[in-house]
Amino acid sequence: MSGPESPAGPVDLKSQMARAAASLHDAPAPKASAATSDLSIDETLLLHSIDWEPVELVFGAAVVSVPGGVWNWGDGEIVQASDAHAKAIEVASLHMDRQCAHVHGWGVVGVSVDVAIHSHHIDVRLLGTAVRPTRPKPTEKRQFDNRGGFISDLSARDFVLLRQAGWAPVGLTFGTSFVYAPRRSAGTVLQQKGQNVELANLTTAMYSARESAMERLQASALSLGGQGVVAVRVWEGPVSFAAHAIQFSAVGTAVRLEADAHQYCQPQVVLPLDDSVVQFDATSLRH
Amino acid sequence: MSSVPSDIPAESEGRLSAPSFSSGLTVPDFAACLQMGLEPVGLVQGYCVMKWSFYGAGSPYMRGMGAYQYNTQQGAYSESYQCPHGYVGGEHISWGQNFEQTMVEAAWTQGFTSAYSRLLEEATEAGGHGVIGLVDTVRSLTDQAVVEFHLLGTAVVVSDAPGPPDGRPWTTYLAGQRLAKLVEAGFMPVSIAASMASVQVWPYCMTEYYLRGQGGTYRWSPQYATSEIEQLSRAQMAVCRLAREHVRAQLGTDTLYGATFAASDYESSGGPVLEATLRGNRVRRFKAFDRLDPPRPTVRLT
Amino acid sequence: MTAAPKNETTGESEKPTALPTDLPKDASRRLKELEDGLFTSDLSVNEFLLVKEVGFHPLGFVMGSSIYHTGLQVRKFTKSEELTKLTEAMYNARELAMTRMEEEADELGADGVVGVRLDVNYYEWGNDAAEFIAMGTAVKAENGQSYRNKVGKPFTSDLSGQDFWTIMQTGHVPQGLVMGTCVYHIAHRGLGQAISSMGQNVELPNFTQALYEARELAMTRMQDEANELGASGIVGVRLEEKSHQWGSHTIEFLSLGTAVTKTSAEVTLPRPTTIISLDN
Repeated sequence: MSGPESPAGPVDLKSQMARAAASLHDAPAPKASAATSDLSIDETLLLHSIDWEPVELVFGAAVVSVPGGVWNWGDGEIVQASDAHAKAIEVASLHMDRQCAHVHGWGVVGVSVDVAIHSHHIDVRLLGTAVRPTRPKPTEKRQFDNRGGFISDLSARDFVLLRQAGWAPVGLTFGTSFVYAPRRSAGTVLQQKGQNVELANLTTAMYSARESAMERLQASALSLGGQGVVAVRVWEGPVSFAAHAIQFSAVGTAVRLEADAHQYCQPQVVLPLDDSVVQFDATSLRH
Repeated sequence: MSSVPSDIPAESEGRLSAPSFSSGLTVPDFAACLQMGLEPVGLVQGYCVMKWSFYGAGSPYMRGMGAYQYNTQQGAYSESYQCPHGYVGGEHISWGQNFEQTMVEAAWTQGFTSAYSRLLEEATEAGGHGVIGLVDTVRSLTDQAVVEFHLLGTAVVVSDAPGPPDGRPWTTYLAGQRLAKLVEAGFMPVSIAASMASVQVWPYCMTEYYLRGQGGTYRWSPQYATSEIEQLSRAQMAVCRLAREHVRAQLGTDTLYGATFAASDYESSGGPVLEATLRGNRVRRFKAFDRLDPPRPTVRLT
Repeated sequence: MTAAPKNETTGESEKPTALPTDLPKDASRRLKELEDGLFTSDLSVNEFLLVKEVGFHPLGFVMGSSIYHTGLQVRKFTKSEELTKLTEAMYNARELAMTRMEEEADELGADGVVGVRLDVNYYEWGNDAAEFIAMGTAVKAENGQSYRNKVGKPFTSDLSGQDFWTIMQTGHVPQGLVMGTCVYHIAHRGLGQAISSMGQNVELPNFTQALYEARELAMTRMQDEANELGASGIVGVRLEEKSHQWGSHTIEFLSLGTAVTKTSAEVTLPRPTTIISLDN
């Protein structure tokens, strides 16, 4: 990670380790700040390289009810299910936001989004690490005075890359739409049996559902003041307990250009030489 | 973590006194450790099998008929919910409660701590200063109430350094390059930290209605729309918070890195039970942070 | 992407492409928002930065879909042959999805679409209906220059952000995602043949021949598409074989790749540094 021209020169790991081990005999610093984080050491080092630090493991959870009977057959969107999903994400984010503000974080990175859909309730759990700059410049301030900061499902690594390019995450965006699977009448099915044709109604129904999930994602990005949404993940599929109900979801992190202009990163081209690691397998010698 | 009396089986004592070392490290990790002056002295492990029965708090048999606060321990999490309807009937559950199952948590902690202490004993026996590359598994044996805790790691000696204070080896889930980076960044591993939290939910009438899909009796009532099930939301938040608090209590002024969080839930006869575990590396700063240069992005040609 | 292999100028298959405004209402509404400056992209942060690096800005996540009934065609049990009706159906369905995706990109004023994925979904409720989906991120050059292809449409490419960056460094510009498909029925062997070759290790020339022909047809069609775009080559060619839901003797051979043209002789790709990583 540190370039070959690193000014510190090669580090004598042996003496570092010995020094570290000896330090256990010293009394711990009385006023050390105790952070908790689920970041790896690599991610922590990366954050430090741009003068940010992890503060605390924070979470947000919400359970929202879905009225009975909405999963039965019907037409078009399953409005209550879509509502419940949106509400659960919103409430969970709010809880996470409060925790982040409470520990003086500026935002949360590496947020894992865990959604469980049950017939009568939708559960959402968010978990991530609150982060903040170690030495905020006077010009910088927390993005939102009334809220904890941004929530982002980007890894700390992606967060660092974005910051270096002049961008900053502003929040988690979500769009979900549940629809009843479109149906064809028995007559139509028979008629189309031997044909290879487009099923226009079905196309429209599915297409619209997907577009409305995306539109919700965009609407939430706009409401957060985002200029774009990166790393959008889309998924879809039948609901586990109701195969005729289909879920479309899109999730991503809204971003905004903080610097005056995009900072180009000028990547270096590398050729890894460790593609095939030959494992020496002793047992294979017997054959 | 409290220590338990020495009870390593004779077999492992024999193994540990052998002149050759064994190590669970991968070759790159092994190479990195030698570079750091860490010499493996043996593969060490600790087991504990626990059985717990459900006759304390959290037992479905404990469910009372009134708004009765069941607290096994001072300061344990507990919240009660009162029926807003104001009518009484056999079918109508006019109160509900969320509470921390301190006995379940205590049993988990005891199991984990026992396995951990045995691992430390093995490591001490082998003359190790620390244990690296720890792997732990907690799994149910045969049925839900019997749980096996297993910890495995590689004991190491730090060359040119004194042994740990009180002879108690330090431990970490990290090994190899990751451990090297941690030390280079100015952190010394102290120990692993792990905790479990368990919250039992006894739903009251409102929660019960929602869980049955009857949020609002009439379609035109405002409750027919979706609504947050507050009792469950709060229980979810509580179980996460408790797991974090329990780990925090083990940290002192040290930092927790590389934590992993796992949550699960199951249905007991009294209602949903939410559980969470949190584990990570307790580390201590021993020198100021050497800030790296911001990394240069690369593109791989493969 | 231009057109299906044969007889596409006659009858049925002409109809779908003659529907330039067939995007659902929701799509237009969503795209309106994107025109106002918000962008959405399914590119990872790495890819986003690399696309920016070569001077493109993402405009929006675009998609196209078509649910198509791909029923069966009568197959002769003992004859190996192309099932032209099915080939055509598979072609049309993908074309429809791709065309709609291009329309969305066009509506955004894009120069191209990168990271295109083509998927086929089957649903439990579908009865032989399959959904063909194309999605990707529409991009536009920041220097105002047009990168549209020879036929005036936004280019499409299934290259990742990393590959897109690399190919641009070599003086090549993507022209379009090109594909060729061929649905082939491979004959069941007659009883007599099966008995006579029993216990022998022999080549089955009919099978070899059939597989050979089917793959060649798919690849030739892909190359024809590239030629129509005036491309100088196709990179990242993949050959996929799928039986979909037709049983094991009917196979679709699909070849896909990104057609590119050389625009500059200058290769600006920096010399790679060789590395060996110590991560596990």
